[in-house]
Amino acid sequence: MRVTLLLALLLGLAAALSLTTGPRALDLADFVTALTAYDPYDPAHVTLMAIRLPRLVAGLIAGAALGVAGTVMQTLTRNPLADPGILGINAGAAFALLLGATALGRSDQAAIALFAFPGAALASVAVFALGGGMRGDAGPVRLTLAGAALNALLLSLVTGMVLVRQESLDILRFWVAGSLTEAVYRPVAEMAFLALAGAVLALLIAPLIEALSMGADVARGLGTRPARVQAGGLLAVTLTTGAAVVIAGPIAFLGLMAPHLARNVSGAALRAQLGVSAALGALILTLADVAGRIILAPGEVRAGIMVALLGGPVFVWIARRLRPGAMA
Amino acid sequence: MRGAAVLAGLLALASVAALLRGQIDASPAILWQGLVTGEGPGALILDTIRGPRVATALGAGAVLGLSGTIFQTLFRNPLAAPDLLGFNAGAGLAIIAGIAFGIALPAPVLAALGGLVVAAIVGALAWRRGSGTPALTIILVGLGTGFTATALATFLMTLLPGTAAAEAQRWLTGSLAARNWGHAAQVWGAGIALTLLAFSQARPLKAMELGGELATGLGVRAEPARWRISGVAVLLAAAGVAVAGPVPFVALMAGPFGARMTGARSPAARMAAGAAAGALIVVLSDLLARSALPGLQLPVGVATGLLGAPYLLWRLSREMYKGEL
Repeated sequence: MRVTLLLALLLGLAAALSLTTGPRALDLADFVTALTAYDPYDPAHVTLMAIRLPRLVAGLIAGAALGVAGTVMQTLTRNPLADPGILGINAGAAFALLLGATALGRSDQAAIALFAFPGAALASVAVFALGGGMRGDAGPVRLTLAGAALNALLLSLVTGMVLVRQESLDILRFWVAGSLTEAVYRPVAEMAFLALAGAVLALLIAPLIEALSMGADVARGLGTRPARVQAGGLLAVTLTTGAAVVIAGPIAFLGLMAPHLARNVSGAALRAQLGVSAALGALILTLADVAGRIILAPGEVRAGIMVALLGGPVFVWIARRLRPGAMA
Repeated sequence: MRGAAVLAGLLALASVAALLRGQIDASPAILWQGLVTGEGPGALILDTIRGPRVATALGAGAVLGLSGTIFQTLFRNPLAAPDLLGFNAGAGLAIIAGIAFGIALPAPVLAALGGLVVAAIVGALAWRRGSGTPALTIILVGLGTGFTATALATFLMTLLPGTAAAEAQRWLTGSLAARNWGHAAQVWGAGIALTLLAFSQARPLKAMELGGELATGLGVRAEPARWRISGVAVLLAAAGVAVAGPVPFVALMAGPFGARMTGARSPAARMAAGAAAGALIVVLSDLLARSALPGLQLPVGVATGLLGAPYLLWRLSREMYKGEL
């Protein structure tokens, strides 16, 4: 209970910071009046309701979705280094978005957004199959390197595509920047729904994933079917990651950090961990977004870069603590 | 021996093909005329357009391939390459930092500094008291340090004005566009000096390949030898990165490919084969990247990325079946 209160308090603080920080400094009193007596001719109200609030909401949803995705992946693969960014699932969704946007033009954002999901699904199946995740014994090194290979492959394809078709560069800047700046123009409500579906699925099958994480044989003994649980887990990862990429672009390392922090707070039970990890993901992304607005004010640093600056060292820290026996 | 001849022949063929093919194809006769008389379109191609580019590609590929082979031998792991260990990312970060902060040091010096700093960080973080550091820990810590370096480079790029940022982005992909004889001289000069140094370490390397304890038994002091050999290999990689950018996967692929082709066994022979294979990979990738799509020149890093990623995946599945991973 104390944890829930503390997290709620921190999230509230981060939200307040996010609403008030920016080129135009505003305070919470403005926000309250904007909520109660909205004046469309007051620039402060317009800034808050049309720019800051959507951006805050987008960050909260994308962050929570990535927190869930990371937790599911780390438990499913028994791999403490699993993350949608590191394993190339973000890149798969982003590449599919790029393809979709190139094919359809910029007419229909919601239709383009749908491309992200098959992209994320293909990438997650590919990386798990290639990294040995399907056999339930993927070593961190193998899975991480499979992800690195997938990332490199997709990056080469994206670079090639952008150089071949100049207009892709604008699409790339819009969709694949890893930023909350453009969140206002994204189909956030639809994506929130899909991310929620993914999170609910994860919560529902959490006990099965826990059983599977004790090994395929134990899981069978407990009456679960490993293949089904894996499929369900990958579906949850696809829904949450795809939604996050559509809202905020590919943000790496958030799905790595949030579950690790959450485990320290919530203990080992997966359901509790999913909830805490979602809250922490939302918190970290919101704070990263705020920090990015402060550091180069009046310009800004993309939230994805801020998260990566923090996440790289965390990756090293986790890798160092792995025992050699747990490596392969 | 036959394998070595085939590799040398392929390298020569690829270099000639890279000189002939381009936006305007040249015939061998024109090239020959240019070479003999020093005049005409052949001379222009050799002197300014494709000559320096091919020379730079050969040099950069060779030092990257040599560096990768040394690391793979030293850590006894085919996945230990400077690109996966983050050293190339460190060299790239240093050059971007040089652009962003206006540091007036030449690119190779910056790249060498960046590579060495990252190598020292990886070495210090992965080091474990007592028992030798497992290669897998080094690879993971190196990957993470590389992620951090890449994130910092991306961050610094947001500080740059638009055109400089686009240029930096292209550079970070790995590109051989518009290289001149200065670049070629740079990579060949540094490369030859470092190659001599590397081959002078062939004996301790051979001992180290047997494992730290056996090396000690053979009279090689393992820890200093490891640092010395790693230092030379990092500098080799940095020399390549300084002229061609952090071209992905060349160092990873070259060693096994060269050893496979030539059947080389001793570390010295494998190093030579790896250097030749690296040169071949870069020249061919560059040729592929600039002639695959008409009217468009892709940077070489796109081609090595497309070649290298499947190779890495294949390698992973092989290591998996061998039970190494």
